[in-house]
Amino acid sequence: MSANLEIANLRKVFNTGKPAVDDVSFTVEAGEIVVLLGPSGCGKTTTLRCVAGLEHPTGGTIRIGDALVSAPERGLLVPPRARNVGMVFQSYAVWPHMTVRQNVAYPLKGRGLSGAEMTRKVDGALDLVDLAQYADRPVVQLSGGQMQRVALARSMVYAPRLLLLDEPLSNLDAQLRLRLRDDLRRIIKAAGLTALYVTHDQLEAVVLGDRIGVMQNGKLLQMASPEEVYNRPADLFVASFTGASNFLPGRLRDRQGEFGSVELDGGLVMQAWCAQGLAPGAAVTVAIRPENIRLEAVAAENRFDTEVVSQRFQGVQTAYALRLGATTVEALATGTTMPHPAGSRVAINIPPQTCWAYPAQ
Amino acid sequence: MAAFGDARRGGRLFAWAWSALLLAILSFLVIYPVMMLLLGTLTDGNPVTDGYANMHVSLDNFFTVLSNPNVHEILGNSLIACFGGTVFAVLIGLTFAWIVVRTNTPWKGLIAATGMLPLFVPPLVAGVAWSILGSPKTGLINTFLAKTGLDWRINLYSMPGIVFVFGMYYAPYVYMFTASALRNMDPSLEEAAEISGAGPVRTLFTVTFPLILPAIISGMLLSFVVMLGIYGVPAVLGAPANISVLTTYIFSLTSWSPPRYSTAAAVAMILMVVTGILVYAQQKVLSGRSFTTVAGKAFRPRSLNLGPWRFLTLGLAMVYLFIVVVLPTLALVVAAFRKFLFIRDITSLFDTKQYSLLHFERLFSNPATINSIINTMEVGVITAVIGGVLSFAIGYTTVRSNAPGRRVIDLIATVPVAIPGLVIGVAYLWAWIGLPGGFYGTIWILALAFVARFLPDTIKALSTSLMQIHKELEEAAWICGRGTLSTIATIMLPLARPGVVAAMTLLFVLAIRELGSSLFLYSSGTMVMAVQLLGYYEGGNVSVTAAFSLVQMVILGVLIGITNRLSRGAAGGVGRAG
Repeated sequence: MSANLEIANLRKVFNTGKPAVDDVSFTVEAGEIVVLLGPSGCGKTTTLRCVAGLEHPTGGTIRIGDALVSAPERGLLVPPRARNVGMVFQSYAVWPHMTVRQNVAYPLKGRGLSGAEMTRKVDGALDLVDLAQYADRPVVQLSGGQMQRVALARSMVYAPRLLLLDEPLSNLDAQLRLRLRDDLRRIIKAAGLTALYVTHDQLEAVVLGDRIGVMQNGKLLQMASPEEVYNRPADLFVASFTGASNFLPGRLRDRQGEFGSVELDGGLVMQAWCAQGLAPGAAVTVAIRPENIRLEAVAAENRFDTEVVSQRFQGVQTAYALRLGATTVEALATGTTMPHPAGSRVAINIPPQTCWAYPAQ
Repeated sequence: MAAFGDARRGGRLFAWAWSALLLAILSFLVIYPVMMLLLGTLTDGNPVTDGYANMHVSLDNFFTVLSNPNVHEILGNSLIACFGGTVFAVLIGLTFAWIVVRTNTPWKGLIAATGMLPLFVPPLVAGVAWSILGSPKTGLINTFLAKTGLDWRINLYSMPGIVFVFGMYYAPYVYMFTASALRNMDPSLEEAAEISGAGPVRTLFTVTFPLILPAIISGMLLSFVVMLGIYGVPAVLGAPANISVLTTYIFSLTSWSPPRYSTAAAVAMILMVVTGILVYAQQKVLSGRSFTTVAGKAFRPRSLNLGPWRFLTLGLAMVYLFIVVVLPTLALVVAAFRKFLFIRDITSLFDTKQYSLLHFERLFSNPATINSIINTMEVGVITAVIGGVLSFAIGYTTVRSNAPGRRVIDLIATVPVAIPGLVIGVAYLWAWIGLPGGFYGTIWILALAFVARFLPDTIKALSTSLMQIHKELEEAAWICGRGTLSTIATIMLPLARPGVVAAMTLLFVLAIRELGSSLFLYSSGTMVMAVQLLGYYEGGNVSVTAAFSLVQMVILGVLIGITNRLSRGAAGGVGRAG
């Protein structure tokens, strides 16, 4: 029942200026959850709305299962109602003039179901989102989290070929967001749906997605598993967007396969993973996540002596600013103790596979 | 963006057909009559006797009218009356806005609410009430002045009389604009002036009023335009003193024998052009609010502690409300219920034996009265239904769809804002009187003229409520498998219902109090209340006129009460009166 989604060379240009979606191609396998992640205005929501049929692409093709639903070059655009997709909107978009049951039953009408079958399906969907006891309440009496679950039940009740979710958690308060985040993945997986999910929150993307696609300025920069996005970001933007906050300028001295040695400005030499196409002599920026800097020297490789410039207690972790050669780097140490006062010296290790060298920008 | 959005050929074709249909309806309702008015302006023919075929179209006719000294005098009269009325309205409206928004005058809420009442009074009723109060010989006020022995009389059958009534009744327009500007103004701007050493009065005149100048000008222009299109007040107060204005002149041209339809069209064209220029200016002022004082919304307006002076401002407000609400109502009540309007002395005023339902009996024993009420209700219902459906269709198309030509549709639907009711009447007369088929003289021509006249108001009210419905609510229904029409029926209409109902009731109210366009379109079989009232007045029976005025006020009051209940929460409003 769930289908795969194939997007090829998708382009969307609005009347003004540069393209909102610029030559984006990817595939979502049947039963897979893919998350599009990026800052606001990166084109992720436009991509989703093109898949839904709410936005008309300028070019490229969109295929859901065997059905080509969008190919503007050939004059083909299937309207949203005929695409058989489900969608959860950012604003929930539950209809305030209906009860919970009426909202969920709405998409089933006109599909030739018997009354009993309809009731069974609605009850099933409400059970799935744990709202069975609210079935006959007017939706306006529900909390934000409950409304979002109504929207989810409504989008799944007719077993669509594909489920689209547009920042469904962004209007909820932080605690609820955490709970619903875990629920969402469980519910979607239980229903066996193919899902495309849009968010600007990295944590949401990591927890929910089988794969993550990072977008910026209308382009898809990387599409990979969460581990890969976090450990092998495709470029500087992906690295910084997913949390790398140390950027050290330098020059690539030599390279052996994936790794090479970089001479940082100031003279220190560091072993680092090198992005494709970097040749010796190139100006590079080395990106390092603060979590990957170990405040104890256990290996000889990438071992540096540093001076603690400042420490900021953050509860379960402490953020340190460390003088490393000519620059200052940020490091995070977990735990509630703060063993390194400002002014003290500390030897650190940065494993080479967590130092990523990219062409300097 | 996809209401009619499937770019498959069928969907696109449907969108084109839909836009074409709306454009055709609008052409029929708005463009065709205006074109016929233009044609009438340029000929010297008579569409009834000559038909449309034998007309000699030339600019000469228009120039002949333009060079007629009578027209100059009448245009001058109109401008003087409206200018005087506007100045007076600004004085009152601005003072009131300041009292209500910026002072601690007691009973501000009550003052603000009752201060809007004059807008609901049909101009003819206001004119009748003030002629009962202020006619030079038999006016109630002069009777009182005579009894008190004062050697001072008032005469409202005069230009100052028209200016006085105009200013009194259309001050609420200025009030509406300036009060909201004062409410939205950042109080720190005034505080800065006071820190710099200016006293409250200097602050008011050097900072506050200059800052809300766009609102003042906008309110001024609007009230000027409304006054320009009013027939009832100058008809009642101007005629006895031989003062004609554009509106009364146009009507008298069509009641001459033979009727001077082409001259009426030419004068109506002058009226429309003047109105159009002023409306355009007003929109410019409104849109180009150069001095933006509105920053967010989070502050509450400063209210000045007036100390004991607050009773003076309260007194001022009470005097205004007494003059504009209580006094005319009393005059109508006295005239309608007293057997004889002649009042010998004060004690006779309270002599219950002098009062009876005699005039009401006479009023209702005339079958024309009942007929006119029935006709009015019928026209009102037709107008509300057709206008409501059409406005929803246009509002949805312009606000929510990407149908081709929606901007043109929006533009044409806004055109009637700049056409006074009386001009619409003349335009419809020209458009239909010479055509066979008997459309002229039916109740439908009245209803269609009202639909056209109030289209901008209804569309505006409806669009506001449509815009409040989140786009995603509609998109969710499309995703669920519904088409455009099914989505409108199951989602948009139920959600917009309060707004739709309010807009339709508003339309009903506006239609039943409309006089200007009815004057040219009624026939003996389709007499409406407003025209019948004018008939009673011109027949010279003041008491029956007053009785009918009261009946209409009660009907309007009930309907406006209903409208306000319905539109609570939904967007709506008074719209243009007049």
